[in-house]
Amino acid sequence: MPQKYISVTRRTKMKRTSEDGQSKLPDNTALKQQQLPAYRLQLSATGVLSCFFATGVFCLGMGIILILSAKSIKEIEVLLSLLTFREFTKAFLFTVSSCIQDVGNCAPFSKSHDGTPIAPCGAIANSIFNDTIILSYKLNSSIPIKVPMLRSGITWWTDKYVKFQNPSSINLSSAFAGTTKPPCWAKPVYELDGEDPGNNGFLNDDFIVWMRTAAFPTFKKLYRRLNRIQYFIEGLPAGNYSFNITYNFPVTRFKGEKSVVLSTLTWSGGSSLFLGLVYTVTGAVTWLASFSMMAVHLTLKDRKVSNAEIPESLPFLTFHL
Amino acid sequence: MFCSEKKSLEVERIVKANDREYNEKFQYADNRIHTSKYSILTFLPINLFEQFQKVANAYFLFLLLLQLIPEISSLTWFTTIVPLVLVITMTAVKDATDDYFRHKSDNQVNNRLSEVLLDSKLQNEKWMNVKVGDIIKLENNQFVAADLLLLSSSEPHGLCYIETAELDGETNLKVRHALSVTSELGADFSRLAKFDGIVVCEAPNNKLDKFTGVLSWKDSKHSLNNENIILRGCILRNTSWCFGMVIFAGPDTKLMQNSGKTKFKRTSIDRLMNTLVLWIFGFLVCLGIILAIGNSIWENQVGDQFRTFLFWNEGKKNSLFSGFLTFWSYIIILNTVVPISLYVSMEVIRLGHSYFINWDRKMYYSGKSTPAEARTTTLNEELGQIEYVFSDKTGTLTQNIMTFKKCSINGKIYGEVRDDMGQKTDITKKNEPVDFSVNPQADRTFQFFDHRLMESVKLGDSKVYEFLRLLALCHTVMSEENSAGQLIYQVQSPDEGALVTAARNFGFIFKSRTPETITVEELGTLVTYQLLAFLDFNNIRKRMSVIVRNPEGQIKLYSKGADTILFEKLHPSNEDLLTLTTDHLSEFAGEGLRTLAIAYRDLDDKYFKEWHQMLEDANALMDERDERIAGLYEEIERDLMLLGATAVEDKLQEGVIETITSLSLANIKIWVLTGDKQETAINIGYACNMLTDDMNDVFIIAGNTAVEVREELRKAKENLFGQNRSSSNGHVVFEKQQLELDSVVEETITGDYALVINGHSLAHALESDVKNDLLELACMCKTVVCCRVTPLQKAQVVELVKNCRNAVTLAIGDGANDVSMIKSAHIGVGISGQEGLQAVLASDYSFAQFRYLQRLLLVHGRWSYFRMCKFLCYFFYKNFAFTLVHFWFGFFCGFSAQDVSDQSSMDYPQLYEPGQLNLLFNKRKFFICMAHGIYTSLALFFIPYGAFHNVAGEDGQHIADYQSFAVTMATSLVIVVSVQIALDTSYWTVINHVFIWGSVATYFSILFTMHSNGIFGMFPNQFPFVGNARHSLTQKCIWLVILLTTVASVVPVVVLRFLKMDLCPTLSDRIRQRQKAQKKARPLRSRRPQTRRSSSRRSGYAFAHQEGYGELITSGKNMRAKNPPLTSGLEKTLYNSTSWIENFCKKTTDTVSSFSQDKTVKL
Repeated sequence: MPQKYISVTRRTKMKRTSEDGQSKLPDNTALKQQQLPAYRLQLSATGVLSCFFATGVFCLGMGIILILSAKSIKEIEVLLSLLTFREFTKAFLFTVSSCIQDVGNCAPFSKSHDGTPIAPCGAIANSIFNDTIILSYKLNSSIPIKVPMLRSGITWWTDKYVKFQNPSSINLSSAFAGTTKPPCWAKPVYELDGEDPGNNGFLNDDFIVWMRTAAFPTFKKLYRRLNRIQYFIEGLPAGNYSFNITYNFPVTRFKGEKSVVLSTLTWSGGSSLFLGLVYTVTGAVTWLASFSMMAVHLTLKDRKVSNAEIPESLPFLTFHL
Repeated sequence: MFCSEKKSLEVERIVKANDREYNEKFQYADNRIHTSKYSILTFLPINLFEQFQKVANAYFLFLLLLQLIPEISSLTWFTTIVPLVLVITMTAVKDATDDYFRHKSDNQVNNRLSEVLLDSKLQNEKWMNVKVGDIIKLENNQFVAADLLLLSSSEPHGLCYIETAELDGETNLKVRHALSVTSELGADFSRLAKFDGIVVCEAPNNKLDKFTGVLSWKDSKHSLNNENIILRGCILRNTSWCFGMVIFAGPDTKLMQNSGKTKFKRTSIDRLMNTLVLWIFGFLVCLGIILAIGNSIWENQVGDQFRTFLFWNEGKKNSLFSGFLTFWSYIIILNTVVPISLYVSMEVIRLGHSYFINWDRKMYYSGKSTPAEARTTTLNEELGQIEYVFSDKTGTLTQNIMTFKKCSINGKIYGEVRDDMGQKTDITKKNEPVDFSVNPQADRTFQFFDHRLMESVKLGDSKVYEFLRLLALCHTVMSEENSAGQLIYQVQSPDEGALVTAARNFGFIFKSRTPETITVEELGTLVTYQLLAFLDFNNIRKRMSVIVRNPEGQIKLYSKGADTILFEKLHPSNEDLLTLTTDHLSEFAGEGLRTLAIAYRDLDDKYFKEWHQMLEDANALMDERDERIAGLYEEIERDLMLLGATAVEDKLQEGVIETITSLSLANIKIWVLTGDKQETAINIGYACNMLTDDMNDVFIIAGNTAVEVREELRKAKENLFGQNRSSSNGHVVFEKQQLELDSVVEETITGDYALVINGHSLAHALESDVKNDLLELACMCKTVVCCRVTPLQKAQVVELVKNCRNAVTLAIGDGANDVSMIKSAHIGVGISGQEGLQAVLASDYSFAQFRYLQRLLLVHGRWSYFRMCKFLCYFFYKNFAFTLVHFWFGFFCGFSAQDVSDQSSMDYPQLYEPGQLNLLFNKRKFFICMAHGIYTSLALFFIPYGAFHNVAGEDGQHIADYQSFAVTMATSLVIVVSVQIALDTSYWTVINHVFIWGSVATYFSILFTMHSNGIFGMFPNQFPFVGNARHSLTQKCIWLVILLTTVASVVPVVVLRFLKMDLCPTLSDRIRQRQKAQKKARPLRSRRPQTRRSSSRRSGYAFAHQEGYGELITSGKNMRAKNPPLTSGLEKTLYNSTSWIENFCKKTTDTVSSFSQDKTVKL
């Protein structure tokens, strides 16, 4: 216990000590005195109700538009075999590094049995979708025309030009020398596309699309875009089409499914009915809520008025900040 | 630590003077004190140990350890360690600074110099080097270094005067005297050095008013009591020097024994948070188990098929083990429900509020230019939860200034101010005080507003003369002229000072006294009265009288005392006057004034002589001396003629009544704990409107034994619960029933009760078996006053309420005697701007005036609490919303831990904005927040899930990848919680706008930065989200999803609030408000108590006087004979030493003026 007369230096952390006692007087600023001009957000009944009606109208409208546009999408789904595929498991999720040396996250697909590093490493890369699908249009009953497909523009620009980079070397095969292909792959990474040499290595479009990991176990990925030339300027003309599929990607082993979908797009993308339906439901519910709130409010209004003379709480209990 | 071990062993203490070797055998503590908690070596381990006792810190440490295991970790370990280290370092630095100040003050105390007699000469020795058995010299106005046995002093008879304000809050001077054998030693160093007495006494203890011991010296034994001991913490006054032998030193001194331990204070929110953290941990464990079981099942059934595909055969883990690992990694992922940032934010909010307290101009006292100071920054929201306030009296509630306010003389009341209509009014600035300038000796500080008294004096009203004469004669005041020729009164009790000063200003100036005479200047004429007898005050008599012979030869007895006592002694002829005066007295008492009744008696010579002879005979008696003397006093103090009554105001601090009223409206109970006397304490209770005449009963517990106390408590309770229950049941049944009925009873007790308990009774009542009775009784009383309590008892009372009622307590005090209570209460408040600093140093908050307590609690406390609660609700809501999204995710992802939060944790910091957020926080509220959070998380997860299921982007590209999904959810989350906070913000100020808009803006800027090419180029491994935000947020459908999520999350909340506002709580609010309005109206009325006088008259008698001064005066012990005695009646020994009065005069010019001196001047 310190004794009384000891002039213990008082902590003056928030005070400017000076001879003039007045300087200890706190500043009279609105902030320090907690008296900033404040606007009180008053949820008035009419305000809330009109807000609700507006929201309801908006949601209903949006819902109907979305449903209509979703309906306008023409979609043909061809069930090939099984494509339900759990991509998103822990082992799959390790981000693929464009840097071969970094193998930290690639286990168990970082090195092959003999110790050579796998490129690209990781489970996702290993499980690449490598079926080839060729769509043919039967112009006549006899001549099948191969529908021209664009393999460009199926990736995100940033993925293709920023994220994924090939090792800088004149020859891809030499750049990947000393590495081995992932165990499930038929070809090494630098020979993915036999037709287009620029579409090899990590910059292969199919590879990039595959590497953009889906969020859900069931997913759709863009395979090709229609090249609108010749017969196909107006899109796919009505007629008979046939698929020629090289089955490389096994799904039976994990009881998966896969299918090919031909689809058109709308302003909001290939949106499903879900969003439109939920919008409609939300709009309807909001309207219902608004009506019930209004009913409750109106019935209670009289009661409230009769008690209006009761004083507000004590003045110092109000908030300022 | 070691001392306490030893203490428990120490049964008695043997100390030999001037013999360090001998005393060393016993290993008594030296005079070094430690109030600090740590030393350099022990700081780290002890502080860390303390910090990790906090559940949250331990929890984070545990998480950190988990994250260090690579199999489990899904977050990098530094995401936890950085904030944890930060939090712990911050706290440690704060603790270290606090302790540094304690070290500093300890050092200052320990390095004080005191003069120790070593080798026959005085040597300066640091306090810490003073040992038990040393003889030390003290000088005037010095603090006493240790508990000393007084050996000799400069004053006659080895007297010395001490001020014990630091110990018990009493500012009266107290007298201590040395044994006559030792007082002969004087200041003779050689004799003192040879003094080798052995003191055998009690072991160190905390009883301030008890000491028993025996001094053996020169083959004889002398018993020692408290009167021979000067305690550490006292100040020597009016004594130029004294010598003392150290009996107890350092931690063994009674002062240190009374100081409570510094405790680590935590708010109840903190404690609630601890519980919640445990709950949440349990919740996480449940979630983790669900997900782990799910994982195991999936692993078993589905995973097998993948294994071949994924090459998992090699690192074959069985599904149970996989589930086990998944469990731990989910624990880590889900820890975001209670992120460490919550604790950091809480501290930041508290710090902000502390600054608001410091900045508050309305708590700045210009009189002493002291702003309020939040000395602890972690307790602010607790200020909004206070249930009990424990207040000291002297210096906190009162200014310790006594002023003569009113008097009733011969049935006429003086001192009231009447307006032109003859109505009583308050004294305002407009009222002209009585002009005393005609009287050159008048005290300038004295103000009186009723001119009629001065007129009566001028008119020569004989009763008024007699009244004022009595005031000038019947007292123990000593007078002296200072260097400026001004008359200075040295008073032993401030009440007397007020009365004598009043008489002085009205022309009856007490000039001087000798053991046999009192000289008074009566309206300009010097009159010397012969003091024939002095019938001293004591607590039983409650009165004092003097018998004087005036120059005309008449013998008169002048008496003043408690009205209840004095009125019984009146002559029957006083009937009418008695009724009138009684009315006046109750009026005075009703205003909280301290009253004394005043009476005189004419004695005839013969009768007095006989009586005096009998008194002398009685004095010579060996047996039953006191009884005989008391009987004789009774005998002569009868047939008194009533003169009137005086009313002295113990001036309250400004705004005390208003503060107490509004605090009680806020349902805060105020207990007064004071070291002062019962009467004084009760009087202040009435003055503060804490006790009122309206009260059904005031229970006074003043028993001296455990049995008495128990009986008194039982009676009080019976009274409280009504006769029927207690009488119809036996005691045992009664107790049993009581337990069951306690809750019912507490509600059914109607009416206001008050409890007054004194220190002796409290000591017994605090024993375990009576403790609960006391507490129960006390808690049902509206007001509790504890008087004559020691500092430690104050702390015990606080502890009792704190522990047994689970209530939040606040203690407020100004002196060293309040330190232990300040330390043990949840919140300690010190009154700053006073001389002593201990209370402030031990406190959590300090300000200069009691009235600021109102603002501290009702404004700052409430705001802090509301804001903190709102913040916590919001925080938990947000975190549940955020974290549970992971949980839902888990269901659709093969129950394996995700990496998503890596991204999300960077979107995180701007999700919460502390300081803005203002609701009450309890377990129920917590569950509401949790449910709200869960709902939001469902909306946040399932709407994007449904929308993204099997869709493609505008350009047909993939949008359902996990990164886009994460961006969509995070953006929705930020928008939903921002809308939520906007709805929660009661008042929009600039700051709110800045933070809310700012946080949304910050989110987007951080998002785009994280997802930019540049940052990917720099750290490709840490930020693999390149282009994500840009890509996702340009998609219309993603915005549609975000919008829908927001609407779906917010609409139900608004609907519920709207309905809540309309339906249920308005009703209860209305009732509450109505009650408030009613309650508010009532005390406003009661603020003018005199206007509604009730029939029950109570005594306003409260006289801060002590026994023994009469004897001192008549023996002349405390006087130096300047003038030889005028009469040679009774032989008195007179000493020619330096008089205390001279000291006193010297002292008044001292810059270091003490409280009592201030008071004297003001009087």
